[in-house]
Amino acid sequence: MYQQNGEEIFVIDGHVHLWDATEENIKHQGGEEFIQCFYDYHTTFTPEERQWDIDEYRKYGADRMVEDLFGNAAADMAIFQPTYLTDFYDDGFNTTEQNAELATEHPERFVLNGTFDPRDGEEGLEYLEELHEKYEIPGVKLYTAEWRGDSKGWRLDDEEAFEFLQKCADLGIENVHPHKGPTIRPLNRDAFDVKDVDDAASSFPELNFIVEHVGLPRLDDFCWIATQETNVYGGLAVAAPFAQNRPGKFSEIMSELLWWLGEDRVIFGSDYAIWNPDWLVEEVMEAELTEEHRAEYGVEWDLETKKKVMGENIADLYDIDIEAKREAFQNDEISQQFDLEDHYASGEPAPADD
Amino acid sequence: MSTRTSDGPALTRAAVRDRLDRVTDPELDRSIVALEYVDAIEIDGGNVGVDLTLPTAWCSPAFAWMMAVDARDEVESLPAVEEARITLHEHMHETEINRGVNERLSFAESFPDADGDIAAVRAELDEKARVARQYDAVEALLEAGLDPETIVELQVRDLEYADGADSVSIYVRDSSFAVTVPDAPIERYLEKARETNLVSAPDDRLFRTPEGDPIDPDSFELVHRRGRLAQVNMSSQGGICDGLREAREGRLEGTVDE
Repeated sequence: MYQQNGEEIFVIDGHVHLWDATEENIKHQGGEEFIQCFYDYHTTFTPEERQWDIDEYRKYGADRMVEDLFGNAAADMAIFQPTYLTDFYDDGFNTTEQNAELATEHPERFVLNGTFDPRDGEEGLEYLEELHEKYEIPGVKLYTAEWRGDSKGWRLDDEEAFEFLQKCADLGIENVHPHKGPTIRPLNRDAFDVKDVDDAASSFPELNFIVEHVGLPRLDDFCWIATQETNVYGGLAVAAPFAQNRPGKFSEIMSELLWWLGEDRVIFGSDYAIWNPDWLVEEVMEAELTEEHRAEYGVEWDLETKKKVMGENIADLYDIDIEAKREAFQNDEISQQFDLEDHYASGEPAPADD
Repeated sequence: MSTRTSDGPALTRAAVRDRLDRVTDPELDRSIVALEYVDAIEIDGGNVGVDLTLPTAWCSPAFAWMMAVDARDEVESLPAVEEARITLHEHMHETEINRGVNERLSFAESFPDADGDIAAVRAELDEKARVARQYDAVEALLEAGLDPETIVELQVRDLEYADGADSVSIYVRDSSFAVTVPDAPIERYLEKARETNLVSAPDDRLFRTPEGDPIDPDSFELVHRRGRLAQVNMSSQGGICDGLREAREGRLEGTVDE
């Protein structure tokens, strides 16, 4: 939990990965381009002294991930969002099954999401059912720009996609996380266009659509859609690290989001390992809106808002009882591993980060 | 914007740069000169060479294409220029783009595999730029004391330019009185409003919703907010591009001795 002015903020990182982009796993040039592009985003928005080298970035492993997320209690829980990219990587970039190894080891700390791809047809529907049965996935991450054979993407408002969304609704998989964000080489920019969320969200009011990366570079389209569809949420990955080296921009984006969506529909995510909650959470918590933006938009980035954005909003979507979790973390395996029992018992600051 | 008259018989880098300054990154609506995409301008008689580098190697090929074509056409609009040659560097599609632009091919000829058409992409971005520019123009009018009801009713014919002044007079309430505002935001807006075919006839409404409709006074505030949002979107994307460019330059510097 993050401590600020004697108050505690429970942090759920809404967007994490455990990927493998080692050369042995790359089967298509696109796989190499993809990880190099990820690395550019990493270095662009990470403080110099916290940047990784490309080799550790390709594959960091479960132990490091657990330490980065929970070692200094930067995050208290995290939600796995798989990215398959099986046309680029032999075993996939990070699949539900791969993420499940770590998630099932610490089920109290991780939420495991699945995915679907409407291009897989009947087989894809069966796979979705299988993920539901095997892992009881409460949500899906969707990657509309993923390559599949000759196809360079798909749309969320296609008839085929609607079949899958209906299946999610039938199975009670309520949380849909489409990546609608910056282009990642070699994927097609337009296949990440946020516009298809509109029809999907209004057609499936029983589902929640958490738009990852708030639609950038189409923040305007995203906010306008979210204004009309109350089941649309904004995931902060990519916007969050602006806090670190472009604080004025962070202030402006956050002000827009709070003005258009309100404080109940903005959700924190690091996109680990592109960015690391280890330092990112603090940057976001300590960020301030400029005087100018506060006056212009009439919004606040205050304790109440931070509690919602950093944990409570997504806890509501995933039925996470924060108080019960806090109690459980006074003595769970991860707290024991990192000497965090007192932190969760008494609200003592977490052990200092090295 | 006043017409520049620097196009004398002797071609100068400054004249070429002035022309290039009119070319925008379509996603950011900012000049490619201000964004420092122009690396070099070479003049050899009537032949001009322009070297461009974008923030990343994977900047949208469609955007890269638009900037290269616009740069070529702007430079060639100088009377003293016979031919402009554009060289895009460090881009994943530099070969296709350089060949296409300099051999005067169409986008579809240069990228046979690309789906979607470049005109539609350009139109969508022009529309966003128009909405963002409208915000500044409307801000200038609010600043001058006009109220929303008046602003949404304004027509092209209500504008009157004084010779040699950097301002424009706006006649309101059946020409019963006029306010004077700086012409820069108004002209900048009109440029895009004309490009998007929203404003041409004297009785056309000056300002529109993002969808291109007249603005209902009750939704003035919302439409104005959407203009602000369009600006924030562009400058946020600009922040990403800018950051990626810095990272890229840092890496290039780091490997210069290898």
